[in-house]
Amino acid sequence: MAANNYFGFTHGGTQYGAAAAAAAGAAAYQATPAAGYAAVGHTPAAAATYAAQRATTAYEAAAAYQPAAATSYAATASSAPTYDYSYTRVQTYDNAAKTAAFYPQPTSTSFSAAADPAFQAKSSTTYTAGYQNAAARPAGQASKTYNYPAAGAAQSYTYPNQAAAAATANKNYSGYDAALYNAATLYVQQQAHTAPKGAGTWKASRPGVGAAIGQKPKLKQPPKPQQLHYCDVCKISCAGPQTYREHLEGQKHKKKESAQKQTAGTTPNAPRGGNSLRCELCDVTCTGSDAYAAHIRGAKHQKVVKLHTKLGKPIPSTEPVVVPGKSTTTTAKTGAAATTAVTKTTEVTKVVATPKINFVGGTKLTTTTPTASAAAAGTAVKEEPKEAAAAAAAPAAATAAAPAVARDDTVAVAAAALGEKEVEPVGQEYIEEIKNEEGKVVSFNCKLCECRFNDPNAKEMHMKGRRHRLQYKKKVNPELIVEVKPSLRQRKLQEEKLRRQQMREEMWRRREESAMDDEERIYWEERRRYEEEMEYFEWCRRGAGRGMPPFGPMGPMGPRFGPIPPMLRRPDSADDRHVMAKHSEIYPKDEELNAIQKIVSNSEKALKMVSDDIAEADAPKKDDGTATESKDEDGKELPRTLKGVMRVGVLAKGLLLQGDADVQLVVLCAEKPTRTLLERVANLMPKHLATVTPDEKYALKLSVEQASLIITNQTEPQINVTVTLTSPLMRDGAADGEPTASKDPPDVLDKQKCLEALAALRHAKWFQARASGVQSCVIVIRIMRELCQRVPTWTPLNTWALELLVERVVASAGFPLAPGDALRRVLEAIASGLLLPGTPGLIDPCEKEPVDTLSGLTAQEREDITASAQHALRLMAFRQVHKILGMDALPPPKFNRGKFNRKRRRDNSCSGENGDSEGGDGKKDKKEDESEAAKADAK
Amino acid sequence: MMRGGVRGRGGPRMGRGGYKMKTFVPRLPFDIYLCEPAFQRAKPAPDETPLQQALLKRNTDLSPSPTEQTAVLNLVTKIATVLDTLIVTPGSFDACQIEEHRQVGSYKKGTMRTNHNVADVVVILKTLPTREAVEALGNQVTEELRQQEPADVLVMAMLPNDRGFEISNSEATVRVLVTTVHQNLRKLDPELHLDQKILQSHLAAIRHSRWFEENAHHSSIKVLIRLLRDLKNRFEGFEPLSPWMLDLLAHYAVMNNPSRQAMSVHQAYRRCLQLLAAGLFLPGSAGIADPCEGGNIRVHTAMTLEQQDQVCLTAQTLLRALSHGGYKQVIGLEGNASIATDMTVWEGIVVSPLEKAYEKPPERKEGEPGDELADDDDMDMADN
Repeated sequence: MAANNYFGFTHGGTQYGAAAAAAAGAAAYQATPAAGYAAVGHTPAAAATYAAQRATTAYEAAAAYQPAAATSYAATASSAPTYDYSYTRVQTYDNAAKTAAFYPQPTSTSFSAAADPAFQAKSSTTYTAGYQNAAARPAGQASKTYNYPAAGAAQSYTYPNQAAAAATANKNYSGYDAALYNAATLYVQQQAHTAPKGAGTWKASRPGVGAAIGQKPKLKQPPKPQQLHYCDVCKISCAGPQTYREHLEGQKHKKKESAQKQTAGTTPNAPRGGNSLRCELCDVTCTGSDAYAAHIRGAKHQKVVKLHTKLGKPIPSTEPVVVPGKSTTTTAKTGAAATTAVTKTTEVTKVVATPKINFVGGTKLTTTTPTASAAAAGTAVKEEPKEAAAAAAAPAAATAAAPAVARDDTVAVAAAALGEKEVEPVGQEYIEEIKNEEGKVVSFNCKLCECRFNDPNAKEMHMKGRRHRLQYKKKVNPELIVEVKPSLRQRKLQEEKLRRQQMREEMWRRREESAMDDEERIYWEERRRYEEEMEYFEWCRRGAGRGMPPFGPMGPMGPRFGPIPPMLRRPDSADDRHVMAKHSEIYPKDEELNAIQKIVSNSEKALKMVSDDIAEADAPKKDDGTATESKDEDGKELPRTLKGVMRVGVLAKGLLLQGDADVQLVVLCAEKPTRTLLERVANLMPKHLATVTPDEKYALKLSVEQASLIITNQTEPQINVTVTLTSPLMRDGAADGEPTASKDPPDVLDKQKCLEALAALRHAKWFQARASGVQSCVIVIRIMRELCQRVPTWTPLNTWALELLVERVVASAGFPLAPGDALRRVLEAIASGLLLPGTPGLIDPCEKEPVDTLSGLTAQEREDITASAQHALRLMAFRQVHKILGMDALPPPKFNRGKFNRKRRRDNSCSGENGDSEGGDGKKDKKEDESEAAKADAK
Repeated sequence: MMRGGVRGRGGPRMGRGGYKMKTFVPRLPFDIYLCEPAFQRAKPAPDETPLQQALLKRNTDLSPSPTEQTAVLNLVTKIATVLDTLIVTPGSFDACQIEEHRQVGSYKKGTMRTNHNVADVVVILKTLPTREAVEALGNQVTEELRQQEPADVLVMAMLPNDRGFEISNSEATVRVLVTTVHQNLRKLDPELHLDQKILQSHLAAIRHSRWFEENAHHSSIKVLIRLLRDLKNRFEGFEPLSPWMLDLLAHYAVMNNPSRQAMSVHQAYRRCLQLLAAGLFLPGSAGIADPCEGGNIRVHTAMTLEQQDQVCLTAQTLLRALSHGGYKQVIGLEGNASIATDMTVWEGIVVSPLEKAYEKPPERKEGEPGDELADDDDMDMADN
């Protein structure tokens, strides 16, 4: 309906005129004003009109209208959305005044006929003239500016609303009157505030009414100053009329006055948010109880109080007046609803009466004051009139005393008034007192907030202040409760945050859902495939028979193992790499190994032949040469003197090092080996050696003391094969003692040597059974052997003890060790004092009796070896294993290249430096070794 | 395609599992007590009675006298009462709020040494620990103590590094170490508050004393800790060892054997030196994992590499001296600390001190931790 009407308006004023004239029609408009606005607001044409209108309007009020209009509009049409109605309102006002100018334009009907009845019918005041005046004035202006039919239309739609509002309620109308009256006077701003009242709640800007209307007469004041010249605006008194006039003309006064007018419409000094306290007397608004207290204590306030006392003017209680921030409109609205037309009229009379408040006499007019303050209470804020009256009636002395008494309480009272709870000052200890030279406290410095102030009061207030408390919360006590300041911006931000969070959650939820779907889908897909696959393999397996099963189930997973083997190449630690490098360095070369292999196998073959020879030679003697071939064969087993040849020592254990030229063979004899037997073997050997390898020349040396003969080859590399004769009987004999010894042939070989050879045999067996099975053990023993050969300190440690030690230590780790770790563990064991006195020692597993393998070492040797191992251990821990091994530090492994550019650069620079100083490095190592050796020697 | 799918699900994961096994695993050093079966006695055990006697004598010397203990106990009780009062009724004291207070350290553990009558109390603040708050708390506590017993001569002093404050009377000292609740730790501002590391160490001290109560109440351990602390105080080389490391080392030496029965003090004492000499606290060793921290942190990593070298070196020299009969000097009944640094002769055997192995050429120092890391990285890279 409203839209229809608008439509009609844009095209002609006839309908409008009818509507305006008919109250019923107007009421109908009022029923849906919001909708109507919204509809128009959305038509671009109308919007454009607004803009144009705003730009071109010469109306001074335009700017001033906005704030007031906004609120008042909200009161009238609270259901309307957030469209920028301030302009509409402006127009509304304009309209009220300008209709005369517009209506004739589109329609050429008589506007005044339409408008006048609407207003005049209800206006029972004398303001009609004023109104007409007002209407005429803007009309003149508007006629210049509004040429567009659209503009007319836009304005016209607002009009009915206004008219309707005016038509429906008498009180509204009276407000409207007031507005018009104001418009007639040149107080354009004031009109701005009163104008909205025509829209239905002129109470909406209640304080404005009282104040604004009340102020007008002040201007009339100057003509009648009396004894005491008191300026109500500035709340000061002037000595004489001259100064008073000067004051009134002064900038300060004017400024204050205009400021008062500016703000009069809205809540006086309305705080942005939250409540504030107002000192009625001085017309000062304070943002907090502390500020208020400070004001009450302040010189200015005291001065005003004094003055007022002197004047006999009422002094409002020091109790603060709460100025609610936002709620004004609503309370005012209810007030508006409650007030009747009668109250309006009283206010009108007030308008008349107020001039007297700004009095000039100091005595009689007290009676009027309560009215004024009551009016103020009614209009502006709710102050108890009684109290105000009481305060006014109170004797001057009492009033004078009041501030002093009140002072202490003001804060509490003010706080109570504000409804905020009294805050305990916090963080006293963070406020430093800054003293001047005389030790007088001149200022304070808050370390938390990094601010300074001079006033002790300020200090107090600072400690209660929000900022300080926030800092305190942040820096000292996170549990301190600091009330949240509900600033509009913050709230908006919060809302925004909440909204965003919600959105995010929503998004995640959705994504999760979809992800779940995906996952599930993929899972089932795979599952299906897997089953198919399994079926296939099952089928294959059945087809292929038994051959497949072990592989069958692995089938689907088969590919998994593909890429792993290359990855299994373990990136060794630096220690491992060094140990392995050293190991490959000391490991004998192929030709050496071949040479050794050759001479050993040749010796073995020759010995076998010798054994055969001797057996043949001996057999006839024993069997009287009658033995048959077969018998010979059988009999050979028992009497054969040389029962067998075995490799022992490093050869058997595979501990050969590069440059090792001595290998051992042991020939087990059936009986205790004698010198005769040894010589016999020595005599037979060359012949058989020649038969085995005709082209090789071997030198043979007999060493009776060693119970052995030594075979040496003539070609490079020279290798000595020591063949020792021994017999298990030697050991038994040793065990049995005397009786066997007596049976010994006179030329029996050296017993000790034979026993050693026997032990060597056992060691070799033990080694093959135990040590060779332990990971890294053989490598470490080789390394340690080399160390023993190289470093004199370690030389006393014999091979067997070393083997045993390493095997025990490495095996006791309980799990396989990498070569580097194994070497380190060996060093750790020695460093922890395994060789030192007081430790269990190293039991020899190859002896019947508990024998300490290490017993051959002297205490000093043990000590030196331990010290050396301790140092070596630390060298190893600190990545200098190459120093122990007597080699150059290896550059970091190659496989790092390409993957880590950064690292490679560093490595390169590293190796570059190494390269530069390679010689030096090597020398240093050697020197180190030498010095170590020298040290050991010194000991 | 199918295979790819299957592999995608399980393959790499399995590969990783298998591969991770090969990453750098710190290894425990050789410890003869853990592998005793491998080293049967080849000769009779030497008579250790003198060592045992000497250790017990030393322990007696080191233990605080009953008067000392009472003095400390009295002061601690008083301060605890004051702190309790502050918790329950802070009254006008608002510089800080106390969450709780706990006794920690040697006093709590019963490992106090004589002439070192210092008890440690950790105070956990609910508020953030500013220096002013700590000072105010110190003053407040002292004030109340004075009110209780005006006769006492109390001295309040701030501890270095803002650890807290200490209150001492003529006979005893109580160190009040300040920290704050966990949730406050991340709110700290280095400009304004105590050092976070220190606060954390104080929180750790509480965990340590709790752990100690539960695990290390055996008196052998306590005796050993006292002896080790004495050892640390006498030999400069052991300076880097923290009390907590010594606690753990003592516990390890006494309790960590196959039978899980507490070992005798003299064995454990020797074992401590053996362990240190074998490089328990060297890089690459598994060391002792801190039972009070997550993530398997090795306690000795708190020392610098140089310090680790120094500790190991000192232990190695002392172990040799001990083995050659120098127990009285090692334990501290005779001689001085020079045995760790000078050449000595024991029963005709020359025991020479060792040299540092740790070098710090700048590039090497950089490379050392880096290398290890890089190795790990390699594995990850190879894995993926």
